[in-house]
Amino acid sequence: MKQFSGIKYRPVCLFLFLALSIGAGTVQAQIPRRLVDPGGPVDELFLSQNIVVTSSVSNLPAGNLNFTIMHVFGRVDEGVQSLWGVDGPANIRFGLDYGISDRLSIGVGRSQFDKLYDFRFKANLLRQSKDGKMPIELALKGDMGIMTESNGFEFSDRLNYLGAVMLARRMSDKISLQVSPMISHFNTVSTEHNGETDMHVEEKTHFAVALGGRILVNDRVALLVEYIPVFGDRTTATENAFAVALNIETGGHVFVIYLKTSDYLTEQHVIARNSEEFFRGDFRLGFIINRVFSLN
Amino acid sequence: MMVRSTAEILVFIAFIGAQTVAGQSWMTQTGTVEFISSVPFFTFTGTSQHLTGVINLADSTVDFYVDLSTLKTGIGKRDKDMRLSLDIKEYPFAEFYGKLITDFDRSIPDGQAAMVEGVFTLHGVKKNVRLSGVLQLIGDQLVLDAGWDLNLEDYNIVPPKLLIVKVDEIQKIRITATLDPMNSQ
Repeated sequence: MKQFSGIKYRPVCLFLFLALSIGAGTVQAQIPRRLVDPGGPVDELFLSQNIVVTSSVSNLPAGNLNFTIMHVFGRVDEGVQSLWGVDGPANIRFGLDYGISDRLSIGVGRSQFDKLYDFRFKANLLRQSKDGKMPIELALKGDMGIMTESNGFEFSDRLNYLGAVMLARRMSDKISLQVSPMISHFNTVSTEHNGETDMHVEEKTHFAVALGGRILVNDRVALLVEYIPVFGDRTTATENAFAVALNIETGGHVFVIYLKTSDYLTEQHVIARNSEEFFRGDFRLGFIINRVFSLN
Repeated sequence: MMVRSTAEILVFIAFIGAQTVAGQSWMTQTGTVEFISSVPFFTFTGTSQHLTGVINLADSTVDFYVDLSTLKTGIGKRDKDMRLSLDIKEYPFAEFYGKLITDFDRSIPDGQAAMVEGVFTLHGVKKNVRLSGVLQLIGDQLVLDAGWDLNLEDYNIVPPKLLIVKVDEIQKIRITATLDPMNSQ
């Protein structure tokens, strides 16, 4: 019982008195303000699910449905007579994508050229976090196209595929960069002989590394650039695709106006079948309209 | 012996005092905030399940806040618009701190009209407000239901536009929460 002698016992009681009194007092003080998720994912690395032709790491939130109209006109170098390509042959793709979760979306689209239907998914494996613990965003994309134009091909001959790994980082409030190794594959390609010496050979498989970047002009306007160099064997006369675009966001819409090479609108086709070289003046005007709906 | 008894009495008084205050305090971290916005031809609702707050009947303190980044309208783009309009990087919380100015009788099982007076802070603007709602003691939990109209312009918030259509500056706010006694948390 010595430890409860008057000398030691009194300070203990006084400490308890103060602790309980202060403890009671803190109930009356303002509760500390805390963010629910201070290390949550950074806001949109890109304003839409595409950079220009290539997919961006940005995915749809769960329950959101994105309707897309992609349109590309003829070549600008056709001049004023054809209103810089507007009168030329155009390709158009209608698409629907749906966010199953904040990290997984599926989609379907239909392009006019080749009467192509394509089915795709995008999955975000890593999300860049606000607190910097995860410095990058990593996503996978797969797309399977089915050419439905009547040409006597078997079903399996009509298929084409894309696989992509997207690595991106929002470098600052204004700038986001993305690198995307890609593989494009066609089940059937053709080899044509034009005369005696000029032979056009198509490769079934192409490898490319797409580079994309975005600069935010303000909260609703962004400038984008995209370059898709092909590595290894490539179809004769295939050029590396290039595009620049302006994004304008207005609530549930994202409008994209672009200049790009290739009249195709799916990545596997742009990688394998682009014969236009941007800096030679071979590019086309086009636009994309994205409209987001909630199915929640 | 006299010293020891005095010290024990002090501790006892403090303990009883603390229990009295804590026993009259309720807290939630999972309350609901809902706002209804109108634009021509339709309305949309934003919700957060992260309303945090304390009601202390001993000294009538009422203290609530919500992390504005947790408000969701169902469309990611619209959420982003809202975050931009509220400038949540600079002002991440909406908060109220004030006093309950009506009596609350714990012996009455039904909901009782309640009024609070204090400072509501949003977008860095502090306004003295008087808000009304209903408080009800169910078991040992305190249930709160309150609503009011909030004018965005009072808080220097420019209503966002959806395409060319401007969101109405009057937002209908409703908060509901079931608060647990603090000494059980």
